[in-house]
Amino acid sequence: MQLSKEIITASADSIDDTGSHLFWRSNANESLSESINEFGQAAPILASKSDTGFKLIAGYSRLSALRQTNQLVLVRMVLDADDRDMGLLYLADNAHRPLDDGMRLAALRYFQPISDDKTLKTDILPRLGIKPKSKDAKLLLSWLDMPDNWQAHLAAGDVPLAACTPLNRMSDQDRLAVEPLFAGFSWSRSNAVNVLTWLFETSKMTLKPIADILQQSGMTNILQQGLSPKDAIARLCAAAKTARYPELSSLQNRFDRAATGITAGTRWRMVQPDNFETGGAELIIQVKNETQLKKAVEDLEIMAGVPTWREIWTLGGKND
Amino acid sequence: MTKHVELPVHLRKIAHVFVDESMQDSPIARRVRKQLIGTTLENIPWTTVSPDSDRVEFDEGDAQALYLKEYKGKFLRFCPGTRAYHCCGYRIIHIGENCPMACSYCILQAYFQDRILKIWANQDDLFKELGDGFGADPNTRYRVGTGEFTDSLALEHLTGYSHDLVSFLNDYDNVVLELKSKAVDLSWMQATKRTDRVLPAWSLNAPIINEQEEFDVSTLTERLEAARTCAQAGFRVCLHFDPVIHYPGWRTGYAEIIDQIFEYVKPEDIAYMSIGSFRCMPQLTPIIANNFPDTNYIYNEFVPGLDGKARLLRPLRVEQFSFMVDRLRSHGMDKQLYFCMESTEVWQEVFGYSPSDFGGLGKRLMAQAFGE
Repeated sequence: MQLSKEIITASADSIDDTGSHLFWRSNANESLSESINEFGQAAPILASKSDTGFKLIAGYSRLSALRQTNQLVLVRMVLDADDRDMGLLYLADNAHRPLDDGMRLAALRYFQPISDDKTLKTDILPRLGIKPKSKDAKLLLSWLDMPDNWQAHLAAGDVPLAACTPLNRMSDQDRLAVEPLFAGFSWSRSNAVNVLTWLFETSKMTLKPIADILQQSGMTNILQQGLSPKDAIARLCAAAKTARYPELSSLQNRFDRAATGITAGTRWRMVQPDNFETGGAELIIQVKNETQLKKAVEDLEIMAGVPTWREIWTLGGKND
Repeated sequence: MTKHVELPVHLRKIAHVFVDESMQDSPIARRVRKQLIGTTLENIPWTTVSPDSDRVEFDEGDAQALYLKEYKGKFLRFCPGTRAYHCCGYRIIHIGENCPMACSYCILQAYFQDRILKIWANQDDLFKELGDGFGADPNTRYRVGTGEFTDSLALEHLTGYSHDLVSFLNDYDNVVLELKSKAVDLSWMQATKRTDRVLPAWSLNAPIINEQEEFDVSTLTERLEAARTCAQAGFRVCLHFDPVIHYPGWRTGYAEIIDQIFEYVKPEDIAYMSIGSFRCMPQLTPIIANNFPDTNYIYNEFVPGLDGKARLLRPLRVEQFSFMVDRLRSHGMDKQLYFCMESTEVWQEVFGYSPSDFGGLGKRLMAQAFGE
């Protein structure tokens, strides 16, 4: 492959911009259009000769801006470029762009059929800002095996990269069942991974399909309540965790109720510190002065006389 | 045409032997060579490892390698128990690493992520260290075992390691050796002079766990038959329910195996019996999921315990333990029962007492090991 030294001009309409190597194509933004209108085309696009004219190699946004204003296009010619060269040139010409996971996946999808696994990992991924041995590298390559609809969710930013791990473990039927969770909300990495993992593991634990778990845990209902994304995600997470850890959740609820009964009206807070491995409880308070300290001690004395303590200490025990 | 003899099933995946240059003429190496003659593994390659090599590479899919190594570390160790739970205080004689059998729950998968079965072939060094330790004070008693980083008997057919160890320990009245295994190989019995200083031990589990989660191992019946053979020869045996698995139908499964035990041995034939719930370092769970995709018991209510390991939620453990202990007690078992790595709370809830009530678990097991 070679790049010509000369720069030629061509009409925008003579340049075919439908090549699959233009995997991040986007129309000109306002600032690019304004810049071209004010100063003209500062950098030539890259194109190769085709039977019908030219084939765009890189410079989609510039070409679309010039086409809108019916201007001639400055072109630097690319000679003897195969599919891989075209993809690499396109990447190099777009090296300034901030990348998201959807863009990286789009690039990998282009290179996958024309590269072996090793090249994809050690050559293409670093060009996308990903270290070959990193966790993100493994996740991105795993996304290539996901169905198109899920790849579209990643590209749209509906689902985080790390969700691939639990999604990959699910059957097609289970993946179909969880898809509505990602239709209207943008999930954080940890929430998405937790919810998907809890659902998958609950399915394994109960030997039920995830669709049944969504129904029985109330998650399907939560989706239909028209809640704000923040509230909906919080409730979905809580429901999924309860489905995954029913005994632990029940103990925790009972502990919280008892603890609230003991500490009500005080600044003390009570937590169970060790997942009920012991019958212990931790009392926490922050005091900033002598008065607060005195009050805390008085409250503690009153709290010590509350009979609910027995419930705290026996929770999860044989005599519970 | 010469007909080759099949080795025991758990040894048939061995496809290569590596031996340290200094160990080529060791008794262990000679014995392995001899034991392979006439078998289907007679012609597997042997590679001598030069002293310059820092490690052996072996990656041939499902196949395993046997590595007869000159070990430079400590042979006599403490069990890596944590303070958060009651440890049995067992001392480890480190004879090798890794296991040819494949149990889905096995911690060795996380410890050793290769398929190399290492055997410390420098037995003279081992015996020197043990002799110095055990001989220093004949009044100090030791309860020791080899089944921590490997199975005590899995490679016995090739190496005769336990036979040699039993023979060596015949001179130390202050040592009781426990041989913990899922294999059946009783060839070490010929080396014993005192049947009260060796405790043959087998792991037991619910039949469905044995069938679905333990591969290339002996059957539960074979283990119990071996225990009976030992008991009839004058040995007391140990039996270990570890890990107890919480799965649908666990009551039926554990009741069945508990009842089966006493068709083969009497309570007085059992020196002690441990019960331990499945627990693991958090990093083991994804390894199990990857190595054993059909395994479901890892998807249960596991929470981080006081030692950071994932443990079944306490009420679920106590429910299982109570069921098993009640069943074992109905067969006449009592003081021989103990929990492996459990809390004071759990001891109290299930047994009604805790190790501090009888001076500590290690002390009690030492006495039981020595037949007191």
